[in-house]
Amino acid sequence: MNKEEIIEALKTIIEPYSEEVTALAHIDENTDFINDLKINSANLVDIVLDVEEKFNIEIDNDSMAKMLTVKATTEIIAQKLEANAGQ
Amino acid sequence: MLGNDIVDLNLAKIQSNWRRKNYLDKIFTIGEQLLITSANNPDEMVWLLWSMKESAYKIHNRKTGIRDFAPKSLSCTIHTNSYGAVNINDSIYFTKSNLQTAFIHTIAAPVYGKLEKIKVAIYELPDHPDDYKSTKPGSVSHHGQYLALVY
Repeated sequence: MNKEEIIEALKTIIEPYSEEVTALAHIDENTDFINDLKINSANLVDIVLDVEEKFNIEIDNDSMAKMLTVKATTEIIAQKLEANAGQ
Repeated sequence: MLGNDIVDLNLAKIQSNWRRKNYLDKIFTIGEQLLITSANNPDEMVWLLWSMKESAYKIHNRKTGIRDFAPKSLSCTIHTNSYGAVNINDSIYFTKSNLQTAFIHTIAAPVYGKLEKIKVAIYELPDHPDDYKSTKPGSVSHHGQYLALVY
């Protein structure tokens, strides 16, 4: 899965948690979940759990701590997928 | 520095399913999870602990300049009469919560004695003041029907 494919999959996960139609339509690497998409922080946990299920990876607490932007989240997913593939 | 956090319990009910598998484990320490599972009202305990963490984080984030999402590293202790404390690494923040049937509101301060000096204003829609920023609140919290300001 390349970066663009990860971002596309991530978009589908994020959508139900944001009502910011314009920001959702313009999601890119720099999009911030809280500042741009106004996602409730309790729903960030849902996004982390959805990411775990969708990509079949485990997000540890240190990784979760960084998951506030599309860029950081995409990087973490790519790292975990790579680690899984190497097993 | 002050922190505050309000949870609209009616919105929380539809917005968040904390009973989802692994949800509690991502946010709460083992001790906090025990408080939730043994509580008479687990919903109230979940959002009480959450508002304690959020209100303390708002101070800690400004103090350290570090922005992260690490709710499990914020460890809550509940004392009597809705007073509590939140430990984040080597810092401690003191909290006081107001538990109502429609909302839970928590205020936080780095010094225990400051809690009693905090002035709280809670507004319910449609009565949110437009110009609240000009009143220079020490912390602002929005959720659902509610706007909470502390000074």
